[in-house]
Amino acid sequence: MENLDAARLQMAFTLIFHIVFACIGMVMPFFMVVSHYKWLKTKDQLYLTLTKSWQKGVAIFFVTGAVSGTALSFELGLLWPEFMKHAGPIIGMPFSLEGAAFFVEAIALGFYLYGWDKLPEKFHWFTGVIIGISGVASGVLVVAANGWMNAPSGFDYIDGQFLNIDPVQAMLNAAWATQALHMTLAAFTATGFAVAGIHAYQVYKGRKVALHTKAFKIAITFGAIAAILQPISGDLSAKDIAKRQPVKLAAMEAHYNTEKGAPLYIGGIVNAETQEVKYKVAIPKALSFLAFGDFDAEVKGLNDFPEDERPNVPMVHYAFQVMVGIGGLLLLAGILYFISIKKKKWLHMNVYWLLFVFLAPLGFIALEAGWIVTEVGRQPWIIHKIMRTKDAVTPMPGIIVSFYIYIVVYFTLSVAVTWLMTRQIKVLNSSK
Amino acid sequence: MLYVVLFFLIFSLYLYVVLGGADYGAGIVELFSSEENQKITKKTIYRVMGPVWEANHIWIIILIVILWIAFPSYYNILVVYLHIPLTIVLLGVTLRGVAFVFRHYDAIIDNSQRLYDTLFKISSLITPIFLGMVFGGLISGEIVMVEDIETLTFYEVFINPWFNIFSILVGLFFASLCAFLSSVLLIGESESVHENIYIRKAAIATIVVFIVGLITFIYGYGAAHVFVKDFIKNPYSLISMLFSGLLLIPLWIAIKKGRRVLSRFFAGLQVFLILLAAIVAHFPGIIITKSENISLLENIAPESVIKVLGISLIIGGSVILPGLFHLLKSFKMIKILDRKDNPSA
Repeated sequence: MENLDAARLQMAFTLIFHIVFACIGMVMPFFMVVSHYKWLKTKDQLYLTLTKSWQKGVAIFFVTGAVSGTALSFELGLLWPEFMKHAGPIIGMPFSLEGAAFFVEAIALGFYLYGWDKLPEKFHWFTGVIIGISGVASGVLVVAANGWMNAPSGFDYIDGQFLNIDPVQAMLNAAWATQALHMTLAAFTATGFAVAGIHAYQVYKGRKVALHTKAFKIAITFGAIAAILQPISGDLSAKDIAKRQPVKLAAMEAHYNTEKGAPLYIGGIVNAETQEVKYKVAIPKALSFLAFGDFDAEVKGLNDFPEDERPNVPMVHYAFQVMVGIGGLLLLAGILYFISIKKKKWLHMNVYWLLFVFLAPLGFIALEAGWIVTEVGRQPWIIHKIMRTKDAVTPMPGIIVSFYIYIVVYFTLSVAVTWLMTRQIKVLNSSK
Repeated sequence: MLYVVLFFLIFSLYLYVVLGGADYGAGIVELFSSEENQKITKKTIYRVMGPVWEANHIWIIILIVILWIAFPSYYNILVVYLHIPLTIVLLGVTLRGVAFVFRHYDAIIDNSQRLYDTLFKISSLITPIFLGMVFGGLISGEIVMVEDIETLTFYEVFINPWFNIFSILVGLFFASLCAFLSSVLLIGESESVHENIYIRKAAIATIVVFIVGLITFIYGYGAAHVFVKDFIKNPYSLISMLFSGLLLIPLWIAIKKGRRVLSRFFAGLQVFLILLAAIVAHFPGIIITKSENISLLENIAPESVIKVLGISLIIGGSVILPGLFHLLKSFKMIKILDRKDNPSA
């Protein structure tokens, strides 16, 4: 395997793991403070048990998110030294602010975890709120750096040099707002459904039903609201990409030839050689409408772009289909949940709980697929239209070795964290 | 603004060395303890480090972010030529952090604790050694920078800079410094019956720091290392080292008298002086390669970047530092409460 491919794989895998840990660490504090709030209001012991159990989850995920994030902050340079040499100063601002937000989060977490019965009740609860807010702030800020790779701004690129650098303008790049909104909602959807699914399984098994139903309701409320809002954000993102990165949009839709009133392909098998998409469902003119708000707008096809500036079309197309498909499913499930608040008898049906168990991993699959769309869709560029990924990679050979080491360590870590969570639940179920 | 940025760079380096170092040292102290003392140490570490250890380790992120924003060329050399030890440091940081949390947050206490403990102790020792080796590598004069990397072997370019006697000695020196810091910290945190354990550890660590430091110098001098030679010629470095050594006297008096805040202050000051001596010895040429010295202040980011970074650091610092201070202070308060409520704890 070439060094470039090994480096890309290592980056992809560490990001895939980090994103899961980081999202849970970012969203779970909100569940925790809601449960904590209910405990303070109702003095229902179950909420206290739940809060304390969730806080352990938050602590474990915060740390795994933090250490994998530390690893990433080094890996950016270790794997892509040429990229960081030039991009570092330009996109440093969101990173340094992210560092600050993350610091605030760590401080607040210290107060929260160790503050039970020691800090004033309201202040203690409030430190939990700060954990959540600063966590989301970190996420939003780090997406600004990724947004810049898609929509580079804040500098003049003259004769291979980055001149007149303006870090503020770089941070406020055109892709940031839509990407950050989409990612934040995705984090809430994915974590909401994942946590809800775990508790749904416990209810289905008949263990501590009252406790797990409360937990389920808190988590799914966040997940459902985010899932229902997500299509709006998705539409904003699509329109933005159509303008800024038409080649990415074309790859997402496996749209090879430029046409007016372009159809939207749902599913399908892409043959990159013959440029055919088989077994798809085509909705006439829908792509033009979704991308430009006009049924007859012209959508550029892949063939309008030089061959060495196109991403891997099948991968981007499939990932996009997976993301949108699951997004739609979770939207329906979210609506279903809100109906179930009225139809109380559903809560006694096994199939209701099983449905949410089945949905548990899907949010994260969609979230990862979304990142594949945005990252693979940007290739061959590491900085859109400025620097190619192959020109950024480290000169050190043998990255494949470190890739394997990372795979083993992160895989073990995931197994260990999962195992630890099952032990948490076991203890939770055997508690009084 | 460059000075603001430089200040925060050295400030976060120092805080990482002291706070992160004491944190690593805690694991080293635990590793070199008898089985019974290990249990006591484990408990004490949890109580002392629990609320703050995550914050301690964020300094290295701040450090690395400042480096890549303001000193990109310098950072570039670090990540290209010292890729391997940095990767080992990262794996160490990961395993150590995870082991620390697992051993305190695992809902069921059983045999898996042994695994977490071992992982925690071993990675606590290895990580600072490799961190020290990275620093040693930067100043070792073994980095070879050529346009055409293929003309040299993998070993020459990517291994020798950090895997040489001088760099390894620097690594061992840093690890023993961590153990020293941690022992001094733990003296004040343990219950009075256990204090002697850590006083003994602190004494041993002091001796180890001294011996390893001396060997590093003698070896470096014998091998005609540029850094060591310049260090000895630099009056500021020598004075700093001398003061650092002299501070041992008030430090031991403070320890004997049970003045825990004062003893920590002295230990922290000693480490500051050692760091200062190392930095000024060759400032600003902090990277010493086979052929040249690379100045930290050359090829820095443009003025506009430095300005924005400086402002961000001032704002960030004014939010974080009071919070951090409050955290450290609060939990001291809580510990006092703990003792009152529960005399057996």
